[in-house]
Amino acid sequence: MRLLTHNMLSSNIKGVTNGFPLRLQVEKSVEKEVDLNPDFLKNIFPKIEWKALVDASRALGYPELPDEAEPSMLDSHDFLKKFHHALLELHVEEGALICPETGRNFPISKGIPNMLLHEDEV
Amino acid sequence: MWRVRAQIPKRFGVDAACLSSLLQDLFPVEYFGLMVYNSIRSARLRDIIHSPVELLSRVCFLKAAQCLDVNAEYDETVQSVTSDSTLIFGTGFREALNKTMSGSLKPLKCMQQFHSNVSSSTKGVQADGAGLPSVESDEKCPTEDSVSMRQNQTCSTNVQHTPDIERKYVHHVYDAIAPHFSSTRFAKWPKVSMFLNSLMPGSVILDAGCGNGKYLGLNPRCFYIGCDISAPLIQICAGRGHEVMVADAVNLPYRSGFGDAAISIAVLHHLSTESRRRKAIEELVRVVQKGGLVLITVWAVEQEDRSVLSKWTPLTRKYEEEWIGPGSPHMRSSPSTVTLESIPEAEESSHRDVDEFKALDNQNPPKESKQQPKEIIEVGAVPSKVADVSVAFRNGSIDNHQEYFVPWHLPYHRAEIGGASSLALESGLAKKDDKKGAVVYNRYYHVFIEGELERLVSGIENAFIRDKFYDKSNWCIILEKS
Repeated sequence: MRLLTHNMLSSNIKGVTNGFPLRLQVEKSVEKEVDLNPDFLKNIFPKIEWKALVDASRALGYPELPDEAEPSMLDSHDFLKKFHHALLELHVEEGALICPETGRNFPISKGIPNMLLHEDEV
Repeated sequence: MWRVRAQIPKRFGVDAACLSSLLQDLFPVEYFGLMVYNSIRSARLRDIIHSPVELLSRVCFLKAAQCLDVNAEYDETVQSVTSDSTLIFGTGFREALNKTMSGSLKPLKCMQQFHSNVSSSTKGVQADGAGLPSVESDEKCPTEDSVSMRQNQTCSTNVQHTPDIERKYVHHVYDAIAPHFSSTRFAKWPKVSMFLNSLMPGSVILDAGCGNGKYLGLNPRCFYIGCDISAPLIQICAGRGHEVMVADAVNLPYRSGFGDAAISIAVLHHLSTESRRRKAIEELVRVVQKGGLVLITVWAVEQEDRSVLSKWTPLTRKYEEEWIGPGSPHMRSSPSTVTLESIPEAEESSHRDVDEFKALDNQNPPKESKQQPKEIIEVGAVPSKVADVSVAFRNGSIDNHQEYFVPWHLPYHRAEIGGASSLALESGLAKKDDKKGAVVYNRYYHVFIEGELERLVSGIENAFIRDKFYDKSNWCIILEKS
């Protein structure tokens, strides 16, 4: 699971009003290099909840992202590289996503989050 | 732990007449009658007949759940029935109970009322509220008003609750056939490719129900996130390096407005009620940004090769007789109001149940056995929530079948020994076809009739139809979020 996905995921348990961001519990992570796509980064930037991305990347041991970010920073190649790396190259292989309201644990196994709810959660 | 000690009244025998008279005794309010009746219909009739305790426990559960306004599944609820007829309620129900009770005292009072109702009306049932705080109250259960309010809730809240038919005839099947299914799924529909290629470079595309992920990465200038409810299919996607997760398309765990586009390719026809199909569309619209596009394709009744329909098993009879009821509601002038969601699907041997029910009918005077349940359904069908019955039924065009089992032939060499297939064979979910050398699974399909997809999206406020077309036996629609 990439941090892009983490930035999109939100706990949808019945009754939960703010399921974002899911707390990230990392047991194993990997890095996989991919080509940098500036179009994609510029397109996705306004939708990214920056603080959640910063916190998640730090949980994965990558402290390079600045605390705050604004669109003008997208002109900096250095910033794009860091943004790209945090968003797409860091993968959580084993661990869990934890609902901020209920504490419900969604496991991540072999890089795949399982977000299915139990019958009594829908 | 909450226990209800139940001694089964002597007069509660083993035939349908007794069942309905017991129900009427227990439930002067017709609505309970409907719920219980549906519940009984959906369970294996034989089991209930042989186990009055089972029936009684269902009755107790439904009554309690109704009083407390909790949504809990019966099967998760009654953990066991001990030899002295004590029902032990499971954790799911206890949790729901606790949640409700911590909120206010009102449900608790209902609970007490429930206890006394059950005790008095069955003349042999005693309930002890071990573990329940006791409240001194002689207040009555909710008035009829609040009961009728709940009717709607009960009928509608569970749209995200997966019906058994989908569990058994969609999820389990795809889990079991995943590698073989995937090996046959590589051809990409040109219209889907065209759609994906038309998107702006750098778009985020959400594929809800991505199967083996054949469209993930199709336009390499975009980024894809896929999900499917079948973990084995998702593992295949992940193995190919796609960004995916296990999630339910009817309840996407995504923030709103994150995607630039969303696709739902050959997914909606596996959802068994109209409200679930609509909900899945609402989810697709929700997760894309304003101006974002949603492509939906579904199998059409109007197949290019009409002969394929003869290879499918129509489920009409099943719906008509088992899910909807002997009263043939679709023939009535008013729209039928029996929701499929309120009628949990039967255990595996559904056809047998119908036959048994018929057999019972024959054994008993028609007045007792046929009329009673029908009446219960009719009075119970008061809720204003409009029917969730398939369009074919609503239109009365019953000849145009839309509910099918579509076979999947899993070659013997693909069906691993001791794995999912042997379990499926054991449980009757799959059958062997020695001639074809394959294990045959049935997949549930609701195939779409011309115009149905448009009707389904017409009630969605924040989306309009950009395009609609027919392509290779599929109805397709492109929505734009407004």
